[in-house]
Amino acid sequence: MNVPLTHLQSMLLFALIISLAFGTLGRRRPIERLKYAAWSFFLFVIVGVAIGWLMYPFSR
Amino acid sequence: MEEPLNEQLPPEDSVAAPASAPVHSAQVQQDDGRELLALMIGVAGWAVPGLGHALQKMWGRALAVFLAVGALVMLGAGMRGNLFTSRGEDAFATLGYLADLGAGAFYWVARSVETAGPDVSHSAGDYGTRFLATAGVLNLLAALHAYEAARGRKA
Repeated sequence: MNVPLTHLQSMLLFALIISLAFGTLGRRRPIERLKYAAWSFFLFVIVGVAIGWLMYPFSR
Repeated sequence: MEEPLNEQLPPEDSVAAPASAPVHSAQVQQDDGRELLALMIGVAGWAVPGLGHALQKMWGRALAVFLAVGALVMLGAGMRGNLFTSRGEDAFATLGYLADLGAGAFYWVARSVETAGPDVSHSAGDYGTRFLATAGVLNLLAALHAYEAARGRKA
């Protein structure tokens, strides 16, 4: 089995899976779960992209 | 769907009336039994992702944990991530093994799926290693959550 994913796809998939798990485990009501998962996903992506840009000057 | 809350409060008469010795002893035995059951639920949750919640009829959480851990393991193995073994050469390999082992039965599923072995010469393999470790740590977190819920803590 081979799963060819780009950097961005890997990050988005990782963020999505973990956010959904966090939302389901961390909250009880469906709407709260959805909000928590969406907020976690947003933070995962934003922080990931921000760290990527912070490392950019050192990549060359 | 709102998940059930396994929070059992002590009966009111146990607070109001002075506890006699037999009542106290029965309470201690009940607490011990409950603690043992919670421990078994925690271990079950580790062994099979989601089982700890399923045993407490928390179906939504059970399904979410099973699917999340399963997806991370399959993606990690598919990306040819490094699945550590017990024969680690350094502390990091040992820690990686402990993290991977956190996925319970899915650790062996990943071993059977990853027939070609790891390939961390590409970034995908490196990401796969993280996916596998995250699956284990997430499952440990879920097992701890199931254990706490079984103890009657708010979850």
